[in-house]
Amino acid sequence: MSDSLEQIFVKQLKENQNIIHKICRLYTNNEDAHKDLFQEVTIQLWKAFPKFRGESKFSTWAYRVALNTAITLYRKSTRSISTVEFESRKHFISQEDYNHEEEEQIKLMYQAVQQLNDIEKALVFMYLEDKDYTEIAETLGITEVNARVKINRIKGKLKKILNP
Amino acid sequence: MEELDLLKKAWQKDTHSFEQVSEMEIYKMLHRKSSSIVKWILIISVLEVLLWTAISVLFNFDADLKKMIGEDLIVYFKVFNYFNYAVIIGFIFLFYKNYIKISTTASTKQLMKDILRTRKTVQYYVWYNLGMITVSMFLGFAMSYFYNPDMSVLKDRIAHESGYKTLIITCGFLLLATVLIVGIFWLFYRLLYGILLRKLNNNYKELKKIDL
Repeated sequence: MSDSLEQIFVKQLKENQNIIHKICRLYTNNEDAHKDLFQEVTIQLWKAFPKFRGESKFSTWAYRVALNTAITLYRKSTRSISTVEFESRKHFISQEDYNHEEEEQIKLMYQAVQQLNDIEKALVFMYLEDKDYTEIAETLGITEVNARVKINRIKGKLKKILNP
Repeated sequence: MEELDLLKKAWQKDTHSFEQVSEMEIYKMLHRKSSSIVKWILIISVLEVLLWTAISVLFNFDADLKKMIGEDLIVYFKVFNYFNYAVIIGFIFLFYKNYIKISTTASTKQLMKDILRTRKTVQYYVWYNLGMITVSMFLGFAMSYFYNPDMSVLKDRIAHESGYKTLIITCGFLLLATVLIVGIFWLFYRLLYGILLRKLNNNYKELKKIDL
């Protein structure tokens, strides 16, 4: 018996789940929210799956749908990021040893990314994933030049957040 | 190095640090929609009852009814009506129980059982309603035939006619009216609950495939 559409989907998703986890990581700041977003993305992917014709890789298609889901979902809800927590964490970096410091710095950077808006997070995600500007532009429906400008602005913004 | 590039380095290193979701868990996520279908069944059944109640309150039928069947029988009619409400509220309670069950189920086996039970409940509910409509139509016809003064002309004709022509025409007309009205309700229920039940059934089939 050949696999049903659903079985194919579940297998593919299981193999490619890390890319979705990564998006969840950028858009959420706790485990529960992460799981919720993952589930929402899963449902959206499943809804869109009949239209997926394998012209691109499953992972490419999946991350695009996931980004769209995250963008629409987080546009609706008002983000509440506690800047207090963010500030307090900054203080004890200097007292830790180097390795810890780097870890802490990465953590801080994730928190800085959390403060970006939904579209900026999508850009960050694709930048981190090493997508070229053509793909970034195509995914977000903007021009390549615009994508470049936006990424540069985000870099500036992050610098400002991290070194106020 | 720029901040974002520093993050990129770290980002590309930790690919495997996420807690992995199993195939079973993905299936469960997809079949969470069962609970939303059952939720809709519950909502629609409540709305339906509200609609009928609103109609009977807005268009007060009591006066017409009194004229049609007379004061004495109104009591029976009311008892019949309350009984009907009690049964329907019972059904709504069952829908609610099904909904709670389905949304808290963890195992696929149990979910399949719950889906089957929900289907059965909805089927009984629809059959009950259609039966009730048929019964109340016949009762209504019979009562108005015997008690409504407007019917005396018809009664006289049937009594004094040598053949059964008027009787047959009357019965035929009543039968046709019943079939038509029950048919309309049947269609209404098919549309309302049929779509939801079909979706539920598809879910069931998919679940069965996993289970094998």
